Amino acid sequence: MAGVWIFAENLQQTAELLSIGSDLASKLMTTTSAFLIGNTDSADDCIAFGADEIMELPALAGDQPLDAYIPVIVAEAQTADPDVFLIAATVRGKDIAARLAARLKTGLCSDCIGVTFDEGNNVLEMDRLAYGGAAIQKVACMTRPVMATIPPGTYKPAPQQSGRQGTIRELQAPQPSPSTVLERRPKETQVKDITESRIVVCAGRGIERKEDLSLVQELATALGGEIGCTRPISEEAHWLPEELCIGLSGISVKPDLYIGLGVSGQVQHVTGIRDAKVICAVNKDENAPLFGAADYGIVGDLYDVVPKLIEAVKKAKA
Amino acid sequence: MPNIIACFKWVIDEAYIRAGSSGELDMRSVNYKLSDYDRNAIEEAARIKEEHGGTVIALTVGIPGGTKGLKDALSRGPDKACFISDPSFENLEPSQTAAILADVIGRKLDYDLIICGEGSSDLYARQVGPRLAETLGIPCISFVQKLTIDGNRIIAERKVEEGIEVTAAPMPALVTVVPDINNPRIPGVKDTLTASKKEVITITKDDLSSAYEPTLRTVSMTAASMERNCVKFTAEPSDITAFIEALAKEGVLR
Ligand SMILES: Cc1cc2nc3c(=O)[nH]c(=O)nc-3n(C[C@H](O)[C@H](O)[C@H](O)COP(=O)(O)OP(=O)(O)OC[C@H]3O[C@@H](n4cnc5c(N)ncnc54)[C@H](O)[C@@H]3O)c2cc1C
Ligand SMILES: Nc1ncnc2c1ncn2[C@@H]1O[C@H](COP(=O)(O)O)[C@@H](O)[C@H]1O
Repeated sequence: MAGVWIFAENLQQTAELLSIGSDLASKLMTTTSAFLIGNTDSADDCIAFGADEIMELPALAGDQPLDAYIPVIVAEAQTADPDVFLIAATVRGKDIAARLAARLKTGLCSDCIGVTFDEGNNVLEMDRLAYGGAAIQKVACMTRPVMATIPPGTYKPAPQQSGRQGTIRELQAPQPSPSTVLERRPKETQVKDITESRIVVCAGRGIERKEDLSLVQELATALGGEIGCTRPISEEAHWLPEELCIGLSGISVKPDLYIGLGVSGQVQHVTGIRDAKVICAVNKDENAPLFGAADYGIVGDLYDVVPKLIEAVKKAKA
Repeated sequence: MPNIIACFKWVIDEAYIRAGSSGELDMRSVNYKLSDYDRNAIEEAARIKEEHGGTVIALTVGIPGGTKGLKDALSRGPDKACFISDPSFENLEPSQTAAILADVIGRKLDYDLIICGEGSSDLYARQVGPRLAETLGIPCISFVQKLTIDGNRIIAERKVEEGIEVTAAPMPALVTVVPDINNPRIPGVKDTLTASKKEVITITKDDLSSAYEPTLRTVSMTAASMERNCVKFTAEPSDITAFIEALAKEGVLR
């Protein structure tokens, strides 16, 4: 037995991983198998997305964490000996992947952003970021299975094909796990997704007070864009939701125009704006690293510059 | 009174890395630092000790040159440090690091709680903590933003996509912490002086029970370069106008 295995938390992520997974399976001349969580009726969808085999994991008790599935998955992997095991890089996915890799005594490429198959040597080479995004590390796994976590959104979902056949197999229910979930507290608000926005104005630590975010918003509105932020604004000050934090541990954006206001431009942030068409910076420190990563910069106090920019943009658009 | 192990890594400060002319990493003027989120791991251990008593050991595996890191870690509150070192421990991959830590912890250290950072600043693999827990066969709660000790168990608020998952686990257990969990202290002169008097247990490769071969091979490491115009303007009205004109010319103002 062998195959390319996929584990994700929902159907969208599974479909994305099946896109790269089916591609690899055809190169490796093998099949794809996907885990499905709980009593779902999406097995047929999943087969249409390209899975040859579905392994259904019985639903968990309400207080069981997702990692309760680890022993079940390990047992399957030890019997079936998959070639490749791809896992969606969600918070729980990253945790589960590392623990599975430890149990299976194999290597894991975390946050894999690209896979190439070297046919001559029969190895998968996987790209990931290192040093905060300053470097791209290419790795190869020397043990079986080759494991990788892949961030949601890295691949487009596989197209649905009608008439595909597949097998469905129900796995055993997981044993009670040592850790229990006492409470689940959902986030209160839904935040707009800015990953596809055309213009993004980013608030950095140079913003002194929460109220001053209105200045950033005003510029964004004048430009017809959205507001984003750096990590200190979302995670330390909690002025904006984390979904707007751009960078290595946040989101990546690829707008036509990015303007950073009071953003120093540390590599972990810049990594998230690499695909922007035009990058601009407003910073009072002429040596701020963002100037080195920007197309156009304004050296000055944002409290002086931004109102002027708002005026000028309005005039240019009028 | 919990015995706590805080795991930390001494890493290259990425802010000093330059892109070489042919895409290689120029490491000529690099400096080292305590991996960012490991400051939060050590702080959390110190905080729990202040509240519940017990001991804190700071644990690291790395090359013998990393002694500065021990001092830095010790100046942040731990009672002692344990340094597993060998010249060959230069570029360990996560499975090796976790295996070496597990070997030493399992055979030589008493513990109720292990605290790791969410991810290291250089690799940011977010693997070592969960791997270590699994190898030791103890519960793991990762990405924790709030931690409480409740008798013989820990209660952790875990940050997941949909919100917070409050999870409990019996000790011994391992947690990995996200930076929002606390504000790491900034060591003062006195802390640095006390740090140099604290005990350091040194463990060499010969003390380990296996050689721990890598499972992941780095094929290449290249600079993620970004070619940009780097034109600078001032805040003068004429420059603001020129700036807006530049954007208009790029076709990004619509
Ligand atoms: C593993 C890891 C992952 C990380 N992930 C991310 C991530 O995803 N996203 C992220 O953003 N960060 C991330 N960081 C943090 C990152 O390293 C930086 O600390 C952060 O990006 C800095 O944010 P900042 O530029 O807003 O703040 P600062 O670095 O404090 O910069 C503030 C800037 O504002 C300027 N300024 C101050 N006042 C004014 C004024 N009145 N007018 C004009 N300019 C002014 C200052 O000159 C300065 O350059 C991560 C760090 C680590 C270790
Ligand atoms: N060499 C090391 N020595 C001790 N602890 C480490 C080492 N490398 C990683 N860790 C711990 O594991 C965490 C995650 O590292 P990583 O898996 O590399 O992202 C770090 O935040 C540390 O707490």
